[in-house]
Amino acid sequence: MTGNPPDNPDQPGAARVRPYLPGAEQPPPPQQPAPHEYQQTPDHGALRPYLLTGGRVSSTGVALEIEAQVVTTELGQATREGLAYEKRDIVELCDAPLSVAETAARLGLHIGVVRVLVGDLVALGHLAVLRPEVGLASDVETIEKVIRGLQAIS
Amino acid sequence: MDSKRSPERAQPVAGGEGRRAPVPVKIVIAGGFGVGKTTTVGAISEITPLTTEAVMTSVAAEIDRTGAVPEKTTTTVALDLGCITIDPSLKLYLFGTPGQDRFGFMWPDLSLGALGALVICDTRRLDSCYPAIDYFEKIELPFVVALNLFDGTLAHDLADVRWALAIREQIPVITFDARDRLSVRDALLAVLHHARDVSSGKERARPRPAPIRTGDSRPSLRIAASDHPYRR
Repeated sequence: MTGNPPDNPDQPGAARVRPYLPGAEQPPPPQQPAPHEYQQTPDHGALRPYLLTGGRVSSTGVALEIEAQVVTTELGQATREGLAYEKRDIVELCDAPLSVAETAARLGLHIGVVRVLVGDLVALGHLAVLRPEVGLASDVETIEKVIRGLQAIS
Repeated sequence: MDSKRSPERAQPVAGGEGRRAPVPVKIVIAGGFGVGKTTTVGAISEITPLTTEAVMTSVAAEIDRTGAVPEKTTTTVALDLGCITIDPSLKLYLFGTPGQDRFGFMWPDLSLGALGALVICDTRRLDSCYPAIDYFEKIELPFVVALNLFDGTLAHDLADVRWALAIREQIPVITFDARDRLSVRDALLAVLHHARDVSSGKERARPRPAPIRTGDSRPSLRIAASDHPYRR
C-alpha cells in the first residue's frame, strides 16, 4: 500500500474545488447543494482519490463486482446520521438498489474508491449487496432471457 | 477479516417492498477512442449514460506498466455506463471502455462475469481495436466485431476486415449504426446470440486452431492475462 494514510479517513479535507483551476479565485458557493448533486462533474483532481479510503485499495469486506447491486439495510437507514461524508451519501443514495458503478457515477467518485467504501459498509451491515452469481454469464437461460428482453425494445 | 464470506445469492434484501435488487448482468462495449462507444451506450440506455472514473491502484500499477514515467502510479479512465431493465429481476448493464491497452487495469473488472463484448471498430483506424480483441480472445469472452457505419457506407469489405483482424470464422463481424437505437439493439443481440452459442456448446472447437497471422499485423498486448489478479 503506497498511499499515505491521512489522520482521519473520514475527514478527507473540504477541498471539493480544485484550488489551482483558472478562475478559482472566487470562493466556492456558500450554500452546500444537496449531497447527491454536488459533484455532477468529478472534481476531485486536487485529492488523490484513495485518500477517501485512507489509502486502502481494497475493503475490509468483500471485493465487489462493479455491477453488484447495493441497497441500504434497515440498520443503514437507522444509523445513517452517524456516518460522515461519502459513506453517508452512499447510504442515502442506495435506498433504492443501485449498482456500484452507478453509485460512483452519481456521486462523482472514482469507482475503485466506491468499491472500498461500499465494501466497508457491507461489512458493517449498513448496506446489503446482491452480487452476480458465479456462472451466470454462461447460463443459457439467462442469456435467452436477456435476448427476449432486448427483442422487446422497439 | 470478512473476505472468506461466500457471495450473497439471490436472496431478498432487507427492506422488502420495492427495494429488491435485480440480478445484474453486463455487456462490455470496447473499442478505441472516437469509434462511437459513448454514442452506442447512449442510443439504447434507459438512463442518460453516466460517466464514472476509475483509478489504477498500486496493485494494478504492475500490470499497467507506466514505462517511461516510473513515478506515475495513477491513471484515470472514464467509463460510460448505461443500463436496460430486462424485467424487474434482471438488469443489463453496458460498460463502454477505451480499448487501449493502457487502460487494461480495468478490463478484468469489466469482463469478469460479462455475458459478452461488442468490439466497435473504425475501419480507418483498425489497429485501435487490436488490444480489445487480443484480450477477449485470451480470456475467452464471447465477442462480436461491429463496424460503425459513420456515414452509412462501409469503407472495406467485411471479409477484408476479418482477414486483417485475423479472427476465427466463428466470430461474427457485423455493421451497425451507433446512433440508431434499433441498430444498437441488433448489435447487442448479435453478441448475445454468439454468447449463447458458445455457452450451449455449439462452438467448443478447442483446442482451437491458431489463427492465421500475417506478419506482425496484430502487435501483441502488453498485458499478460496470466498476470492479472482475477485469473483463475
